[in-house]
Amino acid sequence: MLLQVILSGLATGSIYALVALGLALIYNTTEHVNFAQGEMSMVSAFIGFTFFHSAGFSLPVAFLLTLAVSAVLGIIVERLVIRPAMRAPHFNIFIITLGLSIVMKSLAGFVWSHDDFPYPSIFPNETITVGNATIDMISIGNIGTTVILMLMLFIFFKYTRYGTAMRAVSHSQNAALLMGISVKQSFSITWAISFLVAAVAGILMAPVVFLSTHMGMVVINGFAAAILGGWGSIPGSIIGGMLLGIIDNVAPLYLPSQIKNVVPFMVICIVLVIRPKGIMGIERLTKV
Amino acid sequence: MKQITKFSVLGLFLMFFLFPGSSLGGEVGVTDTTVLVGCSNSFSGPLVYPGTQLVNYGLEIYFKHINAQGGVHGRKIVTQYYDDGYKPQNAVANTKRLVEQDKVFAILSPQGTAPVMATVKYLTGNKVPLLFPFQGVPIKGVKTIFTSFAPYPTQSEVVTSWLVEKKGFKRIGILYQDDKYGYTFRDPAKKVLEKYGLELIAAESYKRGTVDMSAQIAKLKKANLDALILVALPKSGASALKEAHKQGLKGTKIISSGPLTDEKFIILSGGVGEGVWGLSLWPDPVNSQRPAMAEYREMMKKYGKDKDNRPNRYSLFGYFYAKLFVEGLKKAGKNLTRDSYLAALEGMKNWENGIVPAVSFSGSAHLAQNAGFMVEVKKDVFKPISGWVRLKDGKLVEEPL
Repeated sequence: MLLQVILSGLATGSIYALVALGLALIYNTTEHVNFAQGEMSMVSAFIGFTFFHSAGFSLPVAFLLTLAVSAVLGIIVERLVIRPAMRAPHFNIFIITLGLSIVMKSLAGFVWSHDDFPYPSIFPNETITVGNATIDMISIGNIGTTVILMLMLFIFFKYTRYGTAMRAVSHSQNAALLMGISVKQSFSITWAISFLVAAVAGILMAPVVFLSTHMGMVVINGFAAAILGGWGSIPGSIIGGMLLGIIDNVAPLYLPSQIKNVVPFMVICIVLVIRPKGIMGIERLTKV
Repeated sequence: MKQITKFSVLGLFLMFFLFPGSSLGGEVGVTDTTVLVGCSNSFSGPLVYPGTQLVNYGLEIYFKHINAQGGVHGRKIVTQYYDDGYKPQNAVANTKRLVEQDKVFAILSPQGTAPVMATVKYLTGNKVPLLFPFQGVPIKGVKTIFTSFAPYPTQSEVVTSWLVEKKGFKRIGILYQDDKYGYTFRDPAKKVLEKYGLELIAAESYKRGTVDMSAQIAKLKKANLDALILVALPKSGASALKEAHKQGLKGTKIISSGPLTDEKFIILSGGVGEGVWGLSLWPDPVNSQRPAMAEYREMMKKYGKDKDNRPNRYSLFGYFYAKLFVEGLKKAGKNLTRDSYLAALEGMKNWENGIVPAVSFSGSAHLAQNAGFMVEVKKDVFKPISGWVRLKDGKLVEEPL
């Protein structure tokens, strides 16, 4: 029974992890906290649904088109909404993204309705047995995709020119400018990648939580996962997400079911008291 | 003269504040050519689909049909609706607006237990009829309130009794939403089982909106149940079915509660709902061959606004209770007042409607429908597996469909 619940927890955790990953990306480059990360996933999932159901594309083509459209949407959002407030305090950006999330949810409701829809998965709807537990291929696919995406982003930021430039921008925009790095371009790329990650999260999440305008609420768990793993840490996002998913599922197995939503946040409080920077977080020193 | 004017103004002032729902001459909301009804409902929020269907494709299509025929006793039915987004405080504000500003004759079919219950005291105090709300808490003994389907505790008692008496199940458990909706099923089920000398073997809950049920299903699987009663909203209910399918809950029959037994729940579960039982309050809106149901589908086609006019249980609810409301108008006669309307409803006996069992009201019985029937999902369609079942003096009674 424990193994069963841990496996389910990993599947749920992979969704939290992807949201946390998107948050980490934007924070790493811009030091902004993006409250609209969940709604970005929701809108992308609806776009995929439209390509598949209304336009009649095959599932892989619909999802590839969704990724492309999402990246462009990321650039548009950055150019129209974020860039004008680039020099504003971070709190202003947080409120702007909060407003953006409300606008996106309302517009999505207007276009696609606030109803719930079943969503196709790119992975087969079959189950396999591991010991005395059963896990479905959708969960395995979600976990695998999350880990692969995390590795790709880790390599991108650590070892590529663009990734290094983006990290430089996060440390000091002025110093980066002096080194010939385009800060504006870095911001654009960051938002494009983040929207793309949000699209992957949306496409993976929708078959599990169903497609609806409410699915963006997962951002709360994404925040929790990001804090638990360490703000801005890419591996930390994955570890935080997976851990949160497991705790979320294992706690009600031994305690009353009502405890489900309490325990993960209690654990986060405890972790942060002991280790304020989170599990994998790096302490950022700021000269004052 | 000045004195008279002063008294007139004072009189009108007192009239306005002491009797906010009344008007000078004729009944509130009624003219020679119209009768105005309305409600607060969900056109946004979690119950947007039921709310939109109930109003736009239920109440409205039947009223359009009646108005096209010239109305009732020369009066066309005019409607006014406001969105509460399933929020009780909005429902109260909307209802006050309907009563005090729009001056409706009656509040017809508002939706949602919490929003509806928040308005009951106000409407009762102002003697405004509240007719056939879509909610499951029992309301008895109020002259101005007529309720719709069997309250949730009654539904729970019917299902549990049927499972024990007709199917011989002994190990029964429940998975319920952790709020009043869930408790109104859990507690009566417990009492019924005690009556049969049994106990509720397992009771697991989840927070509203939850879609991850792995721990709950793992515990319920361990309990080795004969039957599991599922009290949920469609999204969580479908997640529970998926998880049960994944974990192989094969020896346990799953039974969906009345509000859950709708097509949405089965569509969302993505094909794993085969064999699930449920309590249905309505004939199949898509496939039923009853003439009255065919008529409902025709009207959906004729008057339904746009692409979303597929038959379903929520529009059927609106359609049926619009029909019942109109039947009351016919019986009340040309001189329509709130009192004459309520008296006409109380005098209604064995109204055959072709959709649910004949409706009868009396001075003490204001419930329109007290029966349902058990169904099983076969190829994504709910097929009847019992007749109409209801409780009579605490005993299970079954009548042919």
